[in-house]
Amino acid sequence: MSKDLNMKVNVLPVTTYNFLHVNDGRLEIKDIELQKIVSSKAGIPSGVTLKEGVSFDEAGEVFRANKDRILALKEEMVSPNCETAKRDESQPIRTGMGADVDKLFLENGGTCDVYTVEENAKVAEPIVLRQDLEDGFTGIGSQVIHAKKGSEVTVVMAYSSESSASGFLGVSTRLLAEENATINLVKVQLLGNGYVHFDDIGGACLKGGKINMTTLELGGKEAFNGAYINLSEKEAALSSNLGYLSRDDHSLDMNYVADQRGKKTEASMQFKGVLMGTAKKTLRDTLDFKTGSSGSVGDEQEDALLLSENVVNRTMPVILCQEEDVEGRHGATIGQLGEDLLFYMQTRGIDEEEAKRIMIKARLESVARLIPDEEIKQLAIYYIQQIV
Amino acid sequence: MSDNKQIVADIDHSLYDFKDIENEKDFYRMEEGLTKETVLKVSEEKNDPEWMRDFRLECLKLYNEIEMPNWGPSIEGLDMDKISSYVRHKSDMKGKWEDVPEDIKNTFEKLGIPQAERESLAGVGAQYDSELVYHNVKDEVAAQGVIYTDLESALRSEYADMIKSHFMKLVPPTDHKFAALHGAVWSGGSFVYVPKNVKVEIPLQSYFRLNAAGAGQFEHTLIIVDEGADLHFIEGCSAPKYNVANLHAGCVELYVAKNARLRYSTIENWSKNMYNLNTKRALVEENGIMEWVSGSFGSHTSYLYPMTILKGNGSKMEFTGITFAGKGQNLDTGAKVVHQGERTSSVINTKSISKDGGIGTYRSSVTIQSTAKKAKASVSCDSLMLDSISRADTIPGMDIRTNDADVGHEAKIGRISDEAIFYLMSRGISEEDAKAMIVSGFANPVSKELPLEYAVEMNNLIKLEMSGNG
Repeated sequence: MSKDLNMKVNVLPVTTYNFLHVNDGRLEIKDIELQKIVSSKAGIPSGVTLKEGVSFDEAGEVFRANKDRILALKEEMVSPNCETAKRDESQPIRTGMGADVDKLFLENGGTCDVYTVEENAKVAEPIVLRQDLEDGFTGIGSQVIHAKKGSEVTVVMAYSSESSASGFLGVSTRLLAEENATINLVKVQLLGNGYVHFDDIGGACLKGGKINMTTLELGGKEAFNGAYINLSEKEAALSSNLGYLSRDDHSLDMNYVADQRGKKTEASMQFKGVLMGTAKKTLRDTLDFKTGSSGSVGDEQEDALLLSENVVNRTMPVILCQEEDVEGRHGATIGQLGEDLLFYMQTRGIDEEEAKRIMIKARLESVARLIPDEEIKQLAIYYIQQIV
Repeated sequence: MSDNKQIVADIDHSLYDFKDIENEKDFYRMEEGLTKETVLKVSEEKNDPEWMRDFRLECLKLYNEIEMPNWGPSIEGLDMDKISSYVRHKSDMKGKWEDVPEDIKNTFEKLGIPQAERESLAGVGAQYDSELVYHNVKDEVAAQGVIYTDLESALRSEYADMIKSHFMKLVPPTDHKFAALHGAVWSGGSFVYVPKNVKVEIPLQSYFRLNAAGAGQFEHTLIIVDEGADLHFIEGCSAPKYNVANLHAGCVELYVAKNARLRYSTIENWSKNMYNLNTKRALVEENGIMEWVSGSFGSHTSYLYPMTILKGNGSKMEFTGITFAGKGQNLDTGAKVVHQGERTSSVINTKSISKDGGIGTYRSSVTIQSTAKKAKASVSCDSLMLDSISRADTIPGMDIRTNDADVGHEAKIGRISDEAIFYLMSRGISEEDAKAMIVSGFANPVSKELPLEYAVEMNNLIKLEMSGNG
């Protein structure tokens, strides 16, 4: 049965001036029939168990069971001005795009593949999930990755289609890194020019747990990407590297939040991107130092290269802080190629167009090189080369 | 080295916190609440021209229609039914200090205003509750053709048309609920006109005192700096503390013409029962320069984001601000800038200190429109947390619609670093002095932008008393 989607997503943790149009994003699609996505899996390495087709609600149980630890606070907090946290309270784990994504899965019988990594298992071989989608595909899929104490796992997810293809792909990925566990999550989005795509991530790190994310958002007509990571306990860490490219009349809407609760947590969020044509991009990135997060550090950096006159770049870097002993930093550099750089290139016989190509490649390939799966890395690099 | 934390004392408000009893014999006070009748009464009191009376009524209608903001600090404690929109002394405005009524004169004497006028100002306006009680400009400045007067007098002068064509055009009453409220009940404030190529060497100052409990102050400041002219305007504000909410919803409209320069400095020290919902906006023409210096120390709750529209090619804006949020305060401050012209540039540099449960929020927007080729914008905001029961939030927004622009942004939140204290102590400086040096260094970018007398006042105001138990 077909239906219309109208979702409020990527809500900024605190609202601000309405005229900036950054308080939230809106995902709207008319008359759509949702199927379940089927990943092609190269195999499940030893140390990992997979339960397929778990109901979306049931798959959230592992987060509900740990909710007291994930959301632990040292003491009562004063809320920031106009916080929006309450709207996501129904979720087992808060995600970057928010409760409307959970609702979509629950209302449409969406299922979840649950990957559990055994205690102390260091899984060297990445789990690779590929979706090469056809023109006209419309579907949703979800995963939970649960890394038990002391374990380490790498999951690589790649979505691709023909460049002329249209369709809809929605993905929800929820992560739990227990004590001293590490989850490396790699997402590569190379969908066609008519695709609408969302990628929603929610995660938590317990004591010494780490989540490392590498993301390439390169395709699709309309893309939404959100991640909300709770650094719940001492020495939990998040490292996120995201490369994006938005061109023609495409749009990209992102919301990244590091919720720092434990002592000595570390968050690093790096965004490198290129806008071309009449593309529109909104990036919200928030460091939230909660009371009790003493000794924590957070860093968010954006480097946006604007290559056409009519691009729209919105950046909303937020730091919320209710802890004295923390260090939070944000930096953004937004603009075109510097005249000094162009001059340097020209003195070496490289014209402006070629210089631009080199700089686009340099930015995106620096993220692509972090992909541990050789085949997908080459696919991403080829995709970038095709565009530039 | 010891882990003892520095103690930073509260701002000493006693200097500003004296109250003068307002009796019915000397003061006229309008009943609380906001209705068509109260607006018409204000209009009648002001002897408004007809267009202004109609404008007020239109604004009241808008006020009733526009929703409260869905962002920013809570203003639930503000009940307009308990606010009197208009309170004035029964005497007229005076041009000589000796003629000002004794009780009001005492207030301003205690605040040091007449002394400042004698020593360092080109002109002074003093507003007490809803009306100006004193306005004076030095002869040599008046001789240059500079107009500095209360807005009501100007409305009935040869400048009436100029005011009509500028009044609430930069901040239209549709802007937000409290702009509409201001339009409905505005009273007092100043009009300044600096003619072409006139450079006013020493600053003009307006001082606003809200003495009445449960009252609102809605002054309107309109400044037009004509081509090639130069002005420094200072405003100061204070009020004694009451247990009921007071409201300040003033409006400042600044027009900076081609090649002109305007510096607008504010030291705001409203009492901690004040809701400060003030709107300030400047329009800058070709190669004009707008400089804001802003110190926010008082108020219970503040929404304050001076906005600059860089319309003309080559126009520039610089905003330097400091906010000190102490116990019971929720100060949401920052700046907004819109780049329209080519080669426009803006620099925003703010400092924020939070202590004793105070909430300091830096909120800003930088908008670069597609016409603003070769625009440059730079934002730097630093927050200092002095304990873990306070909050310091940074919520800056950027909307860039051309590739031919350079935008840089950096924000830092942290505490006084142990390394810096250790370094200074290793050079023979005591821990207390080291901490005091670091905090005053943090505030220095703002104080150095103020005239010496005001920098001293600001430093006194902060009164950061450091001590350690080591």
